[in-house]
Amino acid sequence: MSSETHANTTDAPPDAAPDSTSSFRVEGISKSFGHVQALDEVSLEVNRGEVIGLVGENGAGKSTLLNILTGVLEADEGQLYVDGDPVAFTNPREAADYGVSLVHQEQDVITTLRGYENLHLGREKERLGVLEMESMREAAQAFVDDLGINIDVDDRVREYTFNERQMLEIAKAFHVSQKSDNPVILLDEPTAGLEESGREILFDLVNDLRDRATFVFVSHELDEVLEISDRIYVLKDGERVDMTRVEDATTDSLQQSMVGRETADEYYRVPDQRREAQLGEVTMEVDSVAHEDVVGPASFSLREGEIFGIVGVEGSGKQRFGRLLAGDLAMTEGSMTVDGTELTNPSVSDMVDAGVGYIPKDRKSEGLLLYQSVLVNTSLAMVRDMNGSMPMLDLDAEQEATTNAIEELSIKTPGPNALVHGLSGGNQQKVVIARWLAQETPILVMDNVTRGIDVGAKEEVYRLCRELTDRGVSIVFIGDELPEVIGMSNRIGVMAKGQFVAEPFDASPGNKPTEEDLIQEMI
Amino acid sequence: MSTSSVSEWITDQREQRTLQDWIQDLGPFVMLFGLVIIFTLTTERFFTEANLLDNVAKNAVTLLLIALAGTFPILQQSIDLSVESVVLLTGVVTVVLIAEFGLGLLAIPIAIGVGMLAGLFNGLVFTKLKVPSFLVTLGTLSVMAGVGKIITGGSTITFRNDSIRAIATGNVLGIPNLVLWGLLIYVATIVLAFRTKFGRYCFALGENERVVELAGAKVDRYKIYPFVLSGLLCGIAGVLLTLRISSASPNIGSGNLLPSIAAIVMGGTALTGGVGGPHRTILGVLVIAVLNNGMNLLAVDSFVQEIILGLVVVAAVALSIDRDKIDVVK
Repeated sequence: MSSETHANTTDAPPDAAPDSTSSFRVEGISKSFGHVQALDEVSLEVNRGEVIGLVGENGAGKSTLLNILTGVLEADEGQLYVDGDPVAFTNPREAADYGVSLVHQEQDVITTLRGYENLHLGREKERLGVLEMESMREAAQAFVDDLGINIDVDDRVREYTFNERQMLEIAKAFHVSQKSDNPVILLDEPTAGLEESGREILFDLVNDLRDRATFVFVSHELDEVLEISDRIYVLKDGERVDMTRVEDATTDSLQQSMVGRETADEYYRVPDQRREAQLGEVTMEVDSVAHEDVVGPASFSLREGEIFGIVGVEGSGKQRFGRLLAGDLAMTEGSMTVDGTELTNPSVSDMVDAGVGYIPKDRKSEGLLLYQSVLVNTSLAMVRDMNGSMPMLDLDAEQEATTNAIEELSIKTPGPNALVHGLSGGNQQKVVIARWLAQETPILVMDNVTRGIDVGAKEEVYRLCRELTDRGVSIVFIGDELPEVIGMSNRIGVMAKGQFVAEPFDASPGNKPTEEDLIQEMI
Repeated sequence: MSTSSVSEWITDQREQRTLQDWIQDLGPFVMLFGLVIIFTLTTERFFTEANLLDNVAKNAVTLLLIALAGTFPILQQSIDLSVESVVLLTGVVTVVLIAEFGLGLLAIPIAIGVGMLAGLFNGLVFTKLKVPSFLVTLGTLSVMAGVGKIITGGSTITFRNDSIRAIATGNVLGIPNLVLWGLLIYVATIVLAFRTKFGRYCFALGENERVVELAGAKVDRYKIYPFVLSGLLCGIAGVLLTLRISSASPNIGSGNLLPSIAAIVMGGTALTGGVGGPHRTILGVLVIAVLNNGMNLLAVDSFVQEIILGLVVVAAVALSIDRDKIDVVK
C-alpha cells in the first residue's frame, strides 16, 4: 500500500462541512470478501443539496460502498448516520425508507410493464387486494411532472428511449425515498450508455433537483465528475485516498490520486519487457477479419514473445475483436494464419487446436467452474488431448500439471482439490491462466486480465506475463485501463467502431505513448 | 491486504463444516440404515437372505438402471424425462424380435441400439434445434410410449425362450444374474463419470457451459452423449426387465420416472447440475426399494404407500440439497 503518500488527504480537510448539517454520513466502513479487503475504513459525508463525485479505478471499492449504503451488503465494521442518528440497513427497502436509493448502472426497470407500474413496483396501491390502476397512473404522472421529468407513465417501458428509462429510474429513486424529506440518490455510472444530448438532459435534471435531494455521482469519466460535483471523493484499493472540493481538482490530480502508486515503469516491469530485437518470427497473422459489419475488418500481426495491446472506448469493439480472435464470434470475412496454418471462420475448438487460448473478461461467468476443484479448472483445456482420441483421462498428468501450476504461479490454495470458489479473485485468475499454461498454449488473448483483482495479484500477473513472453508466448492484451496496456505492451492498436484507427503505436521501453496520445485516437 | 496463511485457511474451511454439511453427506446412509432397522424390527421376513436378494435387490435393479441413466443428463444440467418410455419401447422390441422374428440373442443388441437411437434423437433435437431437454424428452416420453403400446397392440405380448431368459433369471454363486448385471453397470457408470473425458465434461457442463466452450471442448457433442448413454442404460433396463418376466405389457417400466429422479437427487446429484454423480445414486435407489419392500411386508395400503414414499422423498431431498450453491430456488 502506498497510502502514506496520501496520508495528508485521508483526514477530512477543515473546509469540509461540519457534521451537524450533513444529512448522511458513514464512518469507518470496512468490508472484506475472503482475502480481499474491498473497503478499508472508508468515511464519507453528504450534505444537503450537494452533488458528490465518487471516483476510483475498477476494483477500488465503489460498487461495494454503494451496496453497503443501500443495504445490499452489510459492512464488517463502521456506522451509518442519517441526520446524525446511527442507522443500520439490512436491505434496500430499509435504506430507501431513510431516503437512500440507488439508480443502477444497468437499468433496473421491467420493460414489459408500463411506466407507472414500474414506478410503483413493490409499493402498489391496492384496495381489497385489487390494484388501483387509475389512481396509480395519475399519482405517477403527477409525481414525474412535479420532478420536471418529461415522460408518459402510461407507455410501456420498452417503448421508452434509453434516456427516458433513466429518467424513470431517477423518478423511481425519488419515489421510493418519499418518506425522507432529504433523499440521497446514488447514481452509478449514469452516463455510461448515454449520448451527448442525453447527458445534458441528465445533468440539467440533477442541477434542477439539487434543492430537493443530494446526489452521489459515480463515474469513470473524470471531466463529467468535475462538471457536476461540488466535492469529490477518491477511492483506491478500498481506501479513501482523497477528498477534494471541485475548485481544487483537475482530471490530472484525480487521476494521480486514483492511481497514485510507484512509478508505472516499476509496476509494469517495463525493464523486463522484451526489446524489438528479442522478438521472434510472426506467429499469428490476422488478415482483414470481420464479424458481419460489427467488428472489423481489422488486421495485425503478432510476433513470438510480443505483447500486442488493444485499447478503445466502451463499445469500440475491442472486446468483440478478442472474441473473434478466440473463435468465439463468427468470422464472416477474412482469415487468420497461426503458426503457418490458415484458419477461416474457426470455432473456439479450432483456435485451441491452433494454439490460441482465450482469457475472458468476466472470469466468474466465463472463466471458471467455481464449484469445481483447482485441478478440474486447471486441466480443463488439456483434457481434450489426453490419450489422443481415447476416452480415458490421464489422472497423473492432471495432478502433475496442477501441482506445477500451483507452484509456478504461487496460487494460494489448500491444495489441488480445493474448490476455486474459496480462492481470492487474484488466485482465481491465476487458475484461468494456469489452464493455458498446462496446455502450453503459445498464444494468449487476454481481455482485461487484471479486472477486479487486488494490487498484489495484479503485480504477479504482470510478472507472469513477462515470464511467459520470455518463454516465447505471445499475448494479445486487451484492456480498459490505459496505463496498464501502455505499461505492458510492445505495440498498441487503437480500436474504434470495430476497426484499428491507425498504425499501431510503438510502445517499446522509453518510447511509450501517453494516455493522451491514445485517447486522441480512441475518440 | 489480508493474506492469512494457507494453514489458517484450511482450518477456516474445516470449522465451516456445519451440521448441514454432515447431514447432506450422511443423510441417505442414515435414512437407509434407519429404514432397515425399522423393518427388521417390525417384520420377520425383511432381514432374510431370500427377501433381500430376491425381492429388494432384484426389484431395485430396474430403478437403479433408470436412475443411473437419468443421472448423466442431470449432471450436465439437462434432464431426460423419456427414460421410462425407452424402457417400454426397448422391452417391447425385445419381445417382438424374439417371438415374431426369431432373432434370439441378436434381439438384445438391437433393442439396446433402439434405446441409444432414442437417446440420440433426444440429444440432437436438444442441441441442434436448441429445444430445452425438459421439453424434448417430455415429448418423446409420450411419443415413445405411444409407439411401444401400438406395437403391443394394447395387450401383454410374450415370448418363450428359456436360454435367453437365463441371462436375467440365472444365478452365479447364489447371486441373481439380474443383481450382478446391475452392479456391473453401476461400476461402469462410476468409471465413466470419474475416469473419462465424457464424465469430466458432464460435471463441467453442468456447472458452466460457457467456460467449457471457451476451454476448447466440442460442447454439442458432449451434450448429446449423456442422452445416448441414457438410452443405452434404459435399453438394458428394458431388455432385462422383459427377459425376467418373458413378456412386455403396454405399461412395462411405467411409474419409474419420478422415483428415479427422487433417487438421483437423494443421492446428491443436484437438479442444478455439476455436483453429485452416479456413485451415490444407488443410495437413493436403495432407500426407495427398501421402503417399498418394507411397506409391502407390513401390508400398508398401496395408496398410503404412495403418500409415505412422496413424503420420504421430499424429506430426503430437503436434507440433502446443498443450498450454498443455489441462489434462487424455482
